[in-house]
Amino acid sequence: MKLIDYVDLSFSNLWKRKLRTFLTIFGVIIGIGALVAMVSFGKGMQKNVSDQFENLELFNYITVFSESFNPLGFGGRSPRGQRQRGRSRDSQEEVKGSEPKPLDDEVIAALRSIKGVESVFPDIRFPAEVRANEEQVFSLIQVLPAEFAQSTLMSLRAGKAYVSDEEDSLIISDSLLRRIGLKDLDTAIGQKVRISTLILDFSNFNPMNLASMIQGENLPIAKEDYEFTIVGITGRMGFGSPTPLRSDVFIPRGTSERMKKLPFTNMWDFFRRTEQNLGYSVVNIKVESPAFVNAVKTKVQEMGYRTFALIDQFEEIRTGFLFMDMILAAVGMIAIVVASLGIMNTMVMSILERYSEIGIMKAVGAGDGDIKKIFFFESSVIGFFGGVFGLALGWVVSGLINRIINYFLAKQGVPFIDYFNFPWWLCLGAVLFAVVVSLVSGIYPAVRAARVDPVVALRHD
Amino acid sequence: MTKAPIIQAQKLTKVYSSGKIEVTALKDVDLAVGKGTFIGVAGSSGSGKSTLMNLLGGLDSPTSGSIEFEGELISRKDKNELARYRRHDVGMIFQSFNLIPFFSAVENVSLPLLFAGVSKKERREQASVFLDRVGLSSRKEHRPSELSGGEQQRVAIARALVNSPKIILADEPTGNLDSQTSSEIVGLLATINREQGLTVIMVSHEEALLKEHCDEIIRLFDGEVKVKEQLK
Repeated sequence: MKLIDYVDLSFSNLWKRKLRTFLTIFGVIIGIGALVAMVSFGKGMQKNVSDQFENLELFNYITVFSESFNPLGFGGRSPRGQRQRGRSRDSQEEVKGSEPKPLDDEVIAALRSIKGVESVFPDIRFPAEVRANEEQVFSLIQVLPAEFAQSTLMSLRAGKAYVSDEEDSLIISDSLLRRIGLKDLDTAIGQKVRISTLILDFSNFNPMNLASMIQGENLPIAKEDYEFTIVGITGRMGFGSPTPLRSDVFIPRGTSERMKKLPFTNMWDFFRRTEQNLGYSVVNIKVESPAFVNAVKTKVQEMGYRTFALIDQFEEIRTGFLFMDMILAAVGMIAIVVASLGIMNTMVMSILERYSEIGIMKAVGAGDGDIKKIFFFESSVIGFFGGVFGLALGWVVSGLINRIINYFLAKQGVPFIDYFNFPWWLCLGAVLFAVVVSLVSGIYPAVRAARVDPVVALRHD
Repeated sequence: MTKAPIIQAQKLTKVYSSGKIEVTALKDVDLAVGKGTFIGVAGSSGSGKSTLMNLLGGLDSPTSGSIEFEGELISRKDKNELARYRRHDVGMIFQSFNLIPFFSAVENVSLPLLFAGVSKKERREQASVFLDRVGLSSRKEHRPSELSGGEQQRVAIARALVNSPKIILADEPTGNLDSQTSSEIVGLLATINREQGLTVIMVSHEEALLKEHCDEIIRLFDGEVKVKEQLK
């Protein structure tokens, strides 16, 4: 028998039982569709994260923590703000015992001189009220040197980054912009924004009144207003990725130093700050390339600081993704198993119906191999169409889901992200897999069909 | 019998066993069919006629004994060799026609060529030629359900002939036909036998038809050959 004859014959046989063939193929379509959607979702997640890492050069960053800063404990990840410089210098005490030097500007200079280090900047953030027109929102302001504002780290949706560390300009996230009542990105550029910092006002501070302070009353706090111009608008990260940018508002460093503000972000910090541990809580190092990460990290640790580098976590992240892929694929596989049982059922039914037809074919000279191949071709045709249309279904459905997710996330200022990814191997693999699954499902029916005894099949009664 | 045998059987025995019960369908049948002869096989139902035809046609294997076709041992062949034998050397005709209902006449006739690896175009051409030969030129695209019994059997005969076999095995080809059509069908087989020198072995109940056309009649009783009548 020629190849074309097998194809011809299987098409005409399947066409004879249109409804059943369609239903069986539909089962495969759903199975492959589910699998494709699941896997493409897993791959999409992975691609988003790793693209982001690469685009933002996240593997080039090392985070340095002062020994006393506990990033996972009380107070969470949020580092404290900048110390008030004048005071901290004067009251600085000698570090006792093995305590390392506080992370101050001298340490930063030392870090900068390590081979492979491109730049170093302290992670400074402070609370403030951001106001435009009537709307007023409480937010954390991050101090970001101009060179970093202009780097790939900062992705702007509109406007430009500030160029000097002294200007009264800021970069704001689109979500915060929306919350303060500025909806249109383009007209927002150049708008004035008022930032009110909180400052300590000791004029009516009573140290004996700690109890009421803990409850948040009678705090010795006043406000100080500063005016900024919006120069750039950044999109918010789609995921909580550990980028060194962790804020909705960014201002230049020089400007920040001229502002009066509270150097803490929570009450716990407020009480601790007087004891010791002056300097910065967290400092970000950018190395020239990921190859320097380990050497720099070792040097920094020798200086007595704890470090965190994302590149160390990457293997774990990869394992995590592999695990996620497996779970997603397992869900998809359930649908495939059901579909394959459907194929088996259809093909076995087909044998029973075509019992005498098989007998006739054998009587006129078909070998067991011919019969087997006829059945295999039929199941693989089911698989092929199931695979192709399943791929299409998975693509359409995931596209719809993607639009719906993005529609809702866009309202929160998250930029459009493809949550699904269809690499070429997934498309090709889905169709191939569908055919292989159908062939496997077809083994038993094909063997059984080939075993049909023509004498029994042709017995006339 | 002067002609050299095309097919011969020696001590052919077939025992069917279902569970503990054993049924001997054929017992020590000796047979020699000369090339180009028309052999009739008669016997009451259950006498082993169909079993004999299935064994000769390579659809089944004997329990013991041997079948030789043109000097080759059919009874020793494996499944694939048997399929090959059926494909190239034998044409079979059945009482219930055994046409594939979804296929048109021409498709049914071309079925053996499909397994012989003949191209589609050539299959149709050849099938068409044989349908002309059995007198169905105008019914080529009809399905079996649209044909009369006699026409269906003609399609089956065309199918048996299309591979240019060396022997035709007809198992009660007239069993489902009226007497008028029956004599036409057997007449057609006799013509083919006479004109092409094709060997025909036909099982039939109809004494008149057997006596009219056959060179020899073999009578089976309970799986054994009781009488061989030489007619011509």
